[in-house]
Amino acid sequence: MKLSTKSSTSSAQAEEVDTSMYGKLRVAMKDPFFWSNWIVVVAFILVVVVFGAIKPHSFLTMYNLNNVLVASSIPVIIAVGQTFAVATAGIDLSVSSTMTLGAVIFGLTFTNGWPLWGSAVAGTIAGFLCGVLNGFIIAKRKISDFIVTLGMLSVAAGFALVFSDGRPRQIVSTQLSTLAIGGFGQLPYLMIIALCIAIAAHFFLFNTRFGTHILATGGDPDAARSMGVNIDLVKIVVYAISGTLAGFAAMLTISRIGAAEPAANTSILLNSVAAVVLGGVSLFGGRGTIFGPFVATLLLQALTNGLTVIGVAAYYQYVSIGLVVILSAALVRTK
Amino acid sequence: MKKNNRFLTVGISVVAASALVLTGTSSSNAAVKKLTTIRIAAVVKGLDNPYFISVKAGIVDTAKALGVTANVQAAPGLNDDIGQANKLDALAGQNYDCYIVIPISSNNLSQGLGKVTKQGKPIINIDSPVDPASLKAAGGKITSFAGTDNTAAGKAGGQSMVKLIGSGKKIALIAGLAGNVTSNARIDGFKAGATGSTFVGPVNADWDTTKALDAANQMLVANSDIAGFFAANDQMAQGIAKAVAASGKKIPVYGVDGIMDNLNLIKAGSVTASVSQYPYVMGKMGVEACVVLAQGGKVPAWTVTPHKVIDASNIDAALKTKNNLPPGGYTDPYAALIKK
Repeated sequence: MKLSTKSSTSSAQAEEVDTSMYGKLRVAMKDPFFWSNWIVVVAFILVVVVFGAIKPHSFLTMYNLNNVLVASSIPVIIAVGQTFAVATAGIDLSVSSTMTLGAVIFGLTFTNGWPLWGSAVAGTIAGFLCGVLNGFIIAKRKISDFIVTLGMLSVAAGFALVFSDGRPRQIVSTQLSTLAIGGFGQLPYLMIIALCIAIAAHFFLFNTRFGTHILATGGDPDAARSMGVNIDLVKIVVYAISGTLAGFAAMLTISRIGAAEPAANTSILLNSVAAVVLGGVSLFGGRGTIFGPFVATLLLQALTNGLTVIGVAAYYQYVSIGLVVILSAALVRTK
Repeated sequence: MKKNNRFLTVGISVVAASALVLTGTSSSNAAVKKLTTIRIAAVVKGLDNPYFISVKAGIVDTAKALGVTANVQAAPGLNDDIGQANKLDALAGQNYDCYIVIPISSNNLSQGLGKVTKQGKPIINIDSPVDPASLKAAGGKITSFAGTDNTAAGKAGGQSMVKLIGSGKKIALIAGLAGNVTSNARIDGFKAGATGSTFVGPVNADWDTTKALDAANQMLVANSDIAGFFAANDQMAQGIAKAVAASGKKIPVYGVDGIMDNLNLIKAGSVTASVSQYPYVMGKMGVEACVVLAQGGKVPAWTVTPHKVIDASNIDAALKTKNNLPPGGYTDPYAALIKK
């Protein structure tokens, strides 16, 4: 959003900017897509304000906001990967298992004396391979994304158990625990990593030719093909991105829980799909942002955190989170 | 700061780390924190399992009876290790007097517990132990552990089954989540108790009734000579009992935990026995230990909660107790230490 108006005095500038922004806002508010982008921001602010009002000294502390950021960082990375898949009208159901496989590979290599960076690369490559395989089968065999990634969900989870022999590997590394606990000022390292990935993803999706191809493939694959877009390559790349990010996020998970666990954590998958939908990414492809799913992840984590802080019983938390997801999704789907 | 508390606590209630203050030396009762001002936070495993619902009931009922406040939170699912860690992180900064935890895996809560310990708050670990190495690395410290000895519980099951079916028979084993410490301890304990037997498995059925049903069916097809089934929890034992009933054979099925559903099935005769662990008692002891610590008292570092093989011989007595307590009573080292 660049404003072309320029004025010499600062007050006049403010006024002009104001009216032009208001004008733009009025136009924008009539556009349903505007709402699908911004409703999640409104919901997020609402959640922060409501919990802040109920428990200002507990929820709105630096300590607790830090918690929300830490809790959001891994889901943000997974949601970014999921956004790429959904932008092509696909879905990656294998993210949680891919992440588990990445964690197991990380654990195996690390406990066999590999350096930290080597294990991180190995885990990420494991995720990359799962993703490429997903994309390759979807593109070349023309099988539904849903089925292929559902299969991969099981295959990756199985290999994670095979390679780990079903046993968790404890990872003791001061570097990793510093990564999980530390931060730059008030910004946790994990969130800095997630932010960098989100910004890079945004740039890739909206400022490169290939990003346009991804959105075009999702929007209308036939039209995209006739324009010379390599649809197969697009499919392979988006699943490779999703898999790679899941493999990379595995390292961050290990940094937080101190072990490579062989059992898949399915709530990661559900969270990523919810965040993508709440973030205004069209499940039919072609439309989406990185910003939306990013804020949606913050919203979901802030909601869980807030409900925990104010002491809402666990059962009601399921209800509240489900209601927020459905309500926001209903608001996002304006016609 | 800790020393100041000793003077501050006289007359007024203070929400602080009085647990580490040696109030044992204080002569007047006024220094003891009032029960109604004590706030306890508990983070337990997923509440989609009756066992942990029972732990929660123990915590909530005991807190109510004592007049203390308890905020019980659970992971969104039995597998959600990070979700559980997030919950503990959220509660760690909220100035509770004491924290009760049951970790999903032995490592996943360690970093959060490090934060709790840094604030000088006591931690009571119940049911499943936190791994000491990872806890130490994170700077955390468990004040007291109350839980069953899972190996001993498994062993009691093994001995009871051999007494029932005789030595030298083939026993099928169905375990929980792959690599789970509790499951491994129960299975290993059972094998040690069922001396002279041969074993099939263990097959992992992820603590799940349906998965255990399928696993038992497959084991029955592959091995016609199975003389007994042991499952690492009661929900899986229920699945096995269905498979056994469908096969038309009469094969004893043992579970572990002693959840209410299973006790009813023991009464009805479809499940043979369950090595009952008393989750309600664990939750109760957790709250009691917290209250003792918040009042400045001291608690034993390790308490083994009871286990008992419940079968046809004592099922009536077991069903008669309210909240599923062990028939014949149990010792509670914490209750007497509370200053009312």
